[in-house]
Amino acid sequence: MKRLRVDRWTGQLLVARSSQRGCCLAAGGALRSARSDQHYIPVRSQSTAVSYPFSEATETSFATTLQVPQDPSELPSPIPERALHSAKLASLHARLSLPKKLPIQTLARTLVDASADENPQFNNINLAFVGQTVINYHVSEYLMIRYPRLPMEIVWASMRGFAGIAPLFQIARSWGVESASVPGGEVDPGLLQFTTEKPGVSLTKFGYRRTEAMYLEKYKWRRGISNRVVFDDDFGESVDVTPGSEQTAHEAEMRKKERKEDEDEEENEYSMRRYGDDETRSLAEKAHAHFVRAVVGAVYMHCGRDTAHNFIKAHILSRTLGLSSLFSFKKPTMELALLCDREDFDPPVARLLSETGRQSRTPVFVVGIFSGKDKLGEAAGPSLDHARLKAAMNALKAWYLYSPGEHIRVPSEMLADGAKKWDPAYIDIGEIISR
Amino acid sequence: MEAQLTRRTAASCCQHLPISSASSQSSRVLLRSIRLPTTATGARKQSTRSRTRRALNIPPHPSFLDRKPKSGSNTIIFNPPASAPSVFHTPFKFLPKSDPRRRANLPASLFASSTTIQFNHTSPPSTPQTDDADFIANAPLLGSDCSTPKPHHLTPADVEEIRRLRTEDPVKNSVAVLSERYKCSKLFIMMCVSSPREHRDKIKSALEMVRQRWGPRRAAAREDRKRRWEMLFNSQL
Repeated sequence: MKRLRVDRWTGQLLVARSSQRGCCLAAGGALRSARSDQHYIPVRSQSTAVSYPFSEATETSFATTLQVPQDPSELPSPIPERALHSAKLASLHARLSLPKKLPIQTLARTLVDASADENPQFNNINLAFVGQTVINYHVSEYLMIRYPRLPMEIVWASMRGFAGIAPLFQIARSWGVESASVPGGEVDPGLLQFTTEKPGVSLTKFGYRRTEAMYLEKYKWRRGISNRVVFDDDFGESVDVTPGSEQTAHEAEMRKKERKEDEDEEENEYSMRRYGDDETRSLAEKAHAHFVRAVVGAVYMHCGRDTAHNFIKAHILSRTLGLSSLFSFKKPTMELALLCDREDFDPPVARLLSETGRQSRTPVFVVGIFSGKDKLGEAAGPSLDHARLKAAMNALKAWYLYSPGEHIRVPSEMLADGAKKWDPAYIDIGEIISR
Repeated sequence: MEAQLTRRTAASCCQHLPISSASSQSSRVLLRSIRLPTTATGARKQSTRSRTRRALNIPPHPSFLDRKPKSGSNTIIFNPPASAPSVFHTPFKFLPKSDPRRRANLPASLFASSTTIQFNHTSPPSTPQTDDADFIANAPLLGSDCSTPKPHHLTPADVEEIRRLRTEDPVKNSVAVLSERYKCSKLFIMMCVSSPREHRDKIKSALEMVRQRWGPRRAAAREDRKRRWEMLFNSQL
């Protein structure tokens, strides 16, 4: 297996470019000023690792025809040194309590989406990639250690709940980031710049695109859990069939379902008209999410691992996710019986603990599930069957949502200097029903 | 509303099941019966007003009564509000061997078979654990009884015979008839053999005819019921 060297992925981000369209990550003083008299962009002059997403044709067109204009309004994104004079950027930097080590120009760069500026030396794509890997690593590590018995599907769902597009969009909104109506060189660099007109090249789905991807959709091939673990991305979603769209199959499905639900409601239609349609909204959400990832990536690159971890803890892992409502069962009683069989517990029995209003319109039955003398779960329901199944589901949730403690150490904390000896974390033997 | 069944209200207003003589068999029969024998404590209405008032005059919860503030010391009253048990509260049995909560050997009353609802505690309970154990042992069973081992008495020849009968005449040898004859569950019959396609189609079209005769009310009620089941399994109820 090839060794991955993370430090090389973004090493080129930290050095000043020799070209005139200098890298905005360079320290403030070393920043190149003009984009005036340089007639070509040297592509991949320093990096050996990163291959840029734009095609050969784009590269040649850059190399031959690009004339850097004098008028800033003709540039795709604001020039880096304008960042120093933006009040919005300074206040965002202060609001997020970002360390001084993180230059304000980098923060400006995280706000430029690939759809606004295709040049990866000026947009946030590389930073977003680093940010995404760091975020996903920390979230999955947290879930593994904190809830060691979660089934894989629930792990994916909670990954989506913590680090997916939707929560990151919410985070960006809560940071008070506004977006420019139209991106361009003359707009305030403190505004998020993206366009829904041309999505552009964006490395949104990092991961392996299956060779059989087009057949998955066509023939509805089954993708088992272990198959998805190996081949799909961090959220268990396959990278989409058509290379043009970055929507995953899951997202497309969800949107379709949402649309179906919304069809009748006039209010929703009004809001749709107001904020564009599904496509543009999803692109906008993606741009916001990439901004958050890019900020995390920038923190990681400039301030190091521990600061990035703390930043993720403060902004992403601190959010509340209703884990218990993610579950969906088909045959809870059977699953519970299998669990008790596997763990050598007494077979589970349901007992009626109390009831009221059996003859009335709204009865309440309280049913407990017992294994031997121990109660595993309890629930109240409007009928005996409802209450029994609900109690079985509660018992299963109590099993799956076992947590060794709130302040449990995660493996990455061992990377700190002078870390205490590692206590082995609890690892469960696996799911009850394999899917 | 169901989730907020309180310890106190449950103990006071729930109908106490007559579980003194309950073997599991008799209690299941009891659950199937339509009308429960009402006891004097369970009724909410008496013949006269003063009797009703006296019957509904419930003593406060024991946790309010047994506090005796010592002189010069502060007391903490712990009387949590009524709520359904949380699924994040792992039962003792589900804790792995390595868990510190298990190793610390905490008092069993914290985890073990504590039922949310405690019965007949008009006076402060002297030995709550034994009471609970008695109560659990006597509470009526629901669903199928897993404790009796299954007989597994059918041979491959029997299965072959079931298949033959069902394929020959699915009307006469219905699932119910076969399960009665072979003393097994209906599910087992259906696992052994599926009826011929024509028969299935006929049944399906008959059902469809019935469904078409439903008025809007009944159709909506059926639809709602289906949706409620889905919501139940998606933990939305």
